Amino acid sequence: MIWEQLVLPTLTVLLALGIGAYAVAVLDRLIAGALGLSRAGSAWLAPLARGAWLLTQSANVTEAPDWQAWRLAPLLYLMLAAVGLALVPWSASLVATDLATSVVLWGSVEALATVVIFLHGWSANAPLALIGAYRYVALGLSYILISMFVLIGVALPAESLQFTQVVASQAELWNVIRQPLGLPLFLIVGLGVSFWGPLNLADSTDLAGGTASEVSGPPRLAWNLARAAMLVAFSGVAATVFLGGWLGPWLPGPLWLVLKMFAVLLALLLAGRLLPRLSPERCVTLMWVVLLPLSFVDLVWAGLEALL
Amino acid sequence: MTLMMLLLLAAALIGIGLYGALSQQSFVMLMMGLELILNGVMLAAVAFWALSGAGAPPGQLLTIVVMAVMAIEMAMGFALVVAVYRGKQADMTEALSELKH
Amino acid sequence: MNHGIGVDIAFFLLAVLAIYSGWRVFCTDSMVRASFFLLVSFIAVGAIMLLLTAVYLGVAMFFMMAVEMMVMALFMVMFMMNPAGLNPMKMVHQERVAMAVGAVGFMVLGAMALFAEFPERPLPADLEPVAALGRELLGESMLIFESAGIVLLTTMIGVVVLSSHRGRYGGAETGSVPPGLMPGGEPAGQPAQGEDSEGGHQHHHH
Repeated sequence: MIWEQLVLPTLTVLLALGIGAYAVAVLDRLIAGALGLSRAGSAWLAPLARGAWLLTQSANVTEAPDWQAWRLAPLLYLMLAAVGLALVPWSASLVATDLATSVVLWGSVEALATVVIFLHGWSANAPLALIGAYRYVALGLSYILISMFVLIGVALPAESLQFTQVVASQAELWNVIRQPLGLPLFLIVGLGVSFWGPLNLADSTDLAGGTASEVSGPPRLAWNLARAAMLVAFSGVAATVFLGGWLGPWLPGPLWLVLKMFAVLLALLLAGRLLPRLSPERCVTLMWVVLLPLSFVDLVWAGLEALL
Repeated sequence: MTLMMLLLLAAALIGIGLYGALSQQSFVMLMMGLELILNGVMLAAVAFWALSGAGAPPGQLLTIVVMAVMAIEMAMGFALVVAVYRGKQADMTEALSELKH
Repeated sequence: MNHGIGVDIAFFLLAVLAIYSGWRVFCTDSMVRASFFLLVSFIAVGAIMLLLTAVYLGVAMFFMMAVEMMVMALFMVMFMMNPAGLNPMKMVHQERVAMAVGAVGFMVLGAMALFAEFPERPLPADLEPVAALGRELLGESMLIFESAGIVLLTTMIGVVVLSSHRGRYGGAETGSVPPGLMPGGEPAGQPAQGEDSEGGHQHHHH
């Protein structure tokens, strides 16, 4: 009873968090190598070496930071990623949190991520970090809206806000085909929420690292880990709501989900390496003027399909 | 977790909120007091719904309405603060003393 | 309502967290911290709602309040002179009265909680809270729900009118001059008038 309800789900979440974050780092380096970008060291060992190196470094100190918020923010972001992973159903029975409103809870993870990222940049009491924090708030509010409409779209055919029901509703046809606009929009949201690749405007190089510009040593390791973990959690959610989750022939359910998560991660990391960067103000315009109306179209599409 | 404890918690939140709404000089802090009061109200509504109302659907509806009220309060409050700040460069309640007359 | 000891422990911890963070809102120096303390209080109450099986309302609380408090924090930083809490600060008026009113309010409501008799009618075992809420919102109470929607839309329009740049008496910044650094001094942060900006260096006229 305790094993099945407490230990097993917790273990799954923690394993997915650790292995997933490592997989993100390795995949990203392999992609960089395949694209002919220069990289130092082996793709498999370099992330571990970098992590160990960060652990031995001392943590940077700024003048009069908000200590509690500054040290807590990476951990809170990691916890949000863990909450996201806890919502992902690995099979019909293996779910850490099978809440009746898990889709909405994922939405609030995205909303709380905005708060945590703002806190991370703001509490350092340094100009570039603060600019990064403000940038993320401006962008984050637009990502949340897009994500919300896309998620309502997938909840419509399932007639439920529960991820397990959303998966069950895809037994005949996956949502990626049923709602063709959904997955591309959701992937953009994913890049935004973990500020990866072209949408990395909060921690971007033009701000010398943005919200993380003053962070070094173990807190930096925690922050990098948390970002990778958020990408993994996001790919879990995307695989669940658009690629049919655990559904699939021959293989056991959890394995299917892992394969699909890898596919989503690969798409995200490739997009992160290949897509061009936008300046923040043009990015906000793109979100509100192009992508938000597209998400309305997606929702209307889903509604019409549910009616017919 | 009995109805009494939940209502005591709601009462405490409302009491703190009352103190904040009456004592703070800054508009934004004052609004935080109001929000805290509404927080207690929502908790009490859900507590009654779950423990005393036998899950009557209007109980949940009341909470949704309070959430809408909160959103309206926030939006109007911020718009008024912006308008006042434009006119008087002030974000304190004392700056509007001529409204008394 | 039958529940295990775990629910009780969780409730007590969350209740303490809700009250502590609610109280900290009004006695912290940093305005950003104040708004995020309020967020913590809301999250604790939302989690208590989850314990009461109001699954949608609790989660909606997380969602709504995260965004609301984020906006609140931004406005704090915009309007307050001391957002980071680097200086100690206390900006209160009529504090004694406020304290007394708060205490009296708590005592009256607390006395009601302690001494009033409420019927004990727990949730029916087969109730689906989310589905019930959805049917209520789009069924019998649709008028209320839609009115709330209309009021929100009206609010949006009103807010844009109130805070937009152009009004019926001209631009919003006419008549709006920043205060001086000294009492009665020249407006701060304004470009000095009549200064020629040619030549690559600035002349300061005093």
